[in-house]
Amino acid sequence: MDRTDDTLREIFAVTAPPTLSARILAALRAPAPGPDTLAERFHFEAGERGIRRLRYGRGRDVAVGRARRHVEQARAELAEYLAGGRTFFSVPIDLSGIGEFQDRVLARAQEIPYGEVTSYAEIARRIGHPRASRAVGNALGANPVPVLVPCHRVIRGDGTWGHYAFGPAFKTRLLTLERGTPLLVGCASTRIVCRRGCAHERRIAEHGRVVFASVADAVSVGYRPCKVCRPRDRAA
Amino acid sequence: MDERAFARLAEEYAGRLYAVAYRMLGHRADAEDAVQRALLKCYAARASYSPRWAVSTWLYRALTNVCIDELRRRRVRTDVIDAGTEAGEASERAPARSGRGVTTAAPAVERLDLRRALERVPREARLLLSLRYVDGLDYRELAKIRGISVNTVKSQLARGKAIMRDALRAGGHDGSN
Repeated sequence: MDRTDDTLREIFAVTAPPTLSARILAALRAPAPGPDTLAERFHFEAGERGIRRLRYGRGRDVAVGRARRHVEQARAELAEYLAGGRTFFSVPIDLSGIGEFQDRVLARAQEIPYGEVTSYAEIARRIGHPRASRAVGNALGANPVPVLVPCHRVIRGDGTWGHYAFGPAFKTRLLTLERGTPLLVGCASTRIVCRRGCAHERRIAEHGRVVFASVADAVSVGYRPCKVCRPRDRAA
Repeated sequence: MDERAFARLAEEYAGRLYAVAYRMLGHRADAEDAVQRALLKCYAARASYSPRWAVSTWLYRALTNVCIDELRRRRVRTDVIDAGTEAGEASERAPARSGRGVTTAAPAVERLDLRRALERVPREARLLLSLRYVDGLDYRELAKIRGISVNTVKSQLARGKAIMRDALRAGGHDGSN
């Protein structure tokens, strides 16, 4: 222990607000939410190459032959996602038939990492049409597969939600869900880091779960990325 | 662990957890939110708590998991948040420094330099520094909280401390010995 230790200890001293524990105890006593049947209210339209459309509310799935498999996979993944057990979708998506501009917008939206948000203007800038944020909004509004292509992660520049196909309350719900779910989970015994939702991630014991902010962070303390789900850091 | 035992535990640890969360996130509301979310997670998983673990290890693991994920999401908007909290903190600290000679606290301006220095420390090392200096945890417990080896804890702490020491020296703190 040298003087750096003393100085650091002094800098790090923080006092908690006096009412903190009372507020937390009140939150602990709040009743837990009941079982969720939300995933059952989604309907899929699929072709052989993947999911073509996602609808909410009344309706039925549209799929024949091999496309049924895509629907089953999408439904399972969506249920896991809504329960906070999945941060990415691996079901194939078929976006054929949409325009070139919308295709580029949706491709950009697809790149927004789980739990993060960006603005319409930022997407417009990234696809090389900096003045087209309204057109970007329209392209996202016409997203045939909401949730799977995460247009809910795009908000207005002033921080308000903007339009959402399933309503602003649903957008809030998705963003809150993503805020409470970690993306990168490491296993303390194997020292492997996975994306949440990977088959290996699901097998990590509760007491062995260590969350990381980036793959680089995990590697810096002796973890390696999973070879199945291949977590990667987004380029800055 | 029954509900009342957990409530006692939450009450006992809330302050310490808050201190670590605040040092990690640099924002009072976010720190409170993180503590609350971590305790709610522990509460939901209290049946799976094994007495092989120290209670503090269990709680700190949950807290650091929440804080680290918060930092992941925040990557892009760090600048905005820091500018806000630094001003807030400077004014909160102001009364402490008015009693000159009584308190050993560094002046607010130097504290800002230190906060900036702390932001230069890589995330994992900063987390370990916070746990070590807010609550004085030992290397073995730190290793268990983050699921890493004791040697990694030592090297990360040394790295973080070296960055802080340079900053303290540059800021006229004479933190070296």
